[in-house]
Amino acid sequence: MLIWKRSLGVLGAGAMLLASCAPTVVQESTQLTPETGKRLRLTRAAEVRLSTGYSTTLRAGTQWELVGTIPQGEVYRTRDQIVTLEGAHIHEGYIVVKQGALAGFYLPVERAFSPVTPVMPLSIEP
Amino acid sequence: MNIIHARVVMAVVASMLLSACATSTPKYSEMAASMGAAKSDMGRIYFYRTVLLGFAVQPEVRLNGEVVGRAVPNGFFYVDRPAGNYEVATSTEVERKLTFTVDAGQVRYVRLNISMGLFAGHVYGELVDEAKGQSEIADVRYTGAIEKPDR
Repeated sequence: MLIWKRSLGVLGAGAMLLASCAPTVVQESTQLTPETGKRLRLTRAAEVRLSTGYSTTLRAGTQWELVGTIPQGEVYRTRDQIVTLEGAHIHEGYIVVKQGALAGFYLPVERAFSPVTPVMPLSIEP
Repeated sequence: MNIIHARVVMAVVASMLLSACATSTPKYSEMAASMGAAKSDMGRIYFYRTVLLGFAVQPEVRLNGEVVGRAVPNGFFYVDRPAGNYEVATSTEVERKLTFTVDAGQVRYVRLNISMGLFAGHVYGELVDEAKGQSEIADVRYTGAIEKPDR
């Protein structure tokens, strides 16, 4: 009986450990200043590796519209595809572009910036 | 006698499990025309689950903390909500969350997936695009949303 209880305890602890080991998406709080009037188009697809181990793909040919700026770059949103960042949870993301490269993602619900390390050059055209 | 008894028990269990899936309500494709659109200042969120795998695991689906439905295999439901930020949460042995925005007039599709867990499957929401959502939801059946009476 004691062994059975101990086994259950070990299994329970294992379950909790397993649940807690999925990494969360890195988030840095930031401030978006709304801005519009710029668009860009991705001419080549980009597969972005996240620090969580998951990846997200930005499709070629997608159109992106400026929605604002944050200290880390310009924030663009698209209606041509779904962009999500997956870790322990899943978050919708907009891309953050600085000097033609992907600096990271803006999470609109969390109002946070999630960096991409190292920054990733993008093939874009206006 | 024991074999007959076991077969009866298995049949009852199978029947109970099948009844836990959406089997007798209309498919999305059969009721899409009669559902109507959301009001102009609202967005619509569809929740659906296609696979029967892990059919015994049917957690509640919470939207911004409010229970709006259940993750029933082969089932779908929808809610209309004002434009804004939303968090979908499902809990089994762990809690998984999905966050996304909804614009007025926008339609969002949340597919309820299941992954392996230690003791039970984990059900989690995944945001999918409209084309994929419309295609996948066509053959699943309406399970009904849990709505507050004042909505």
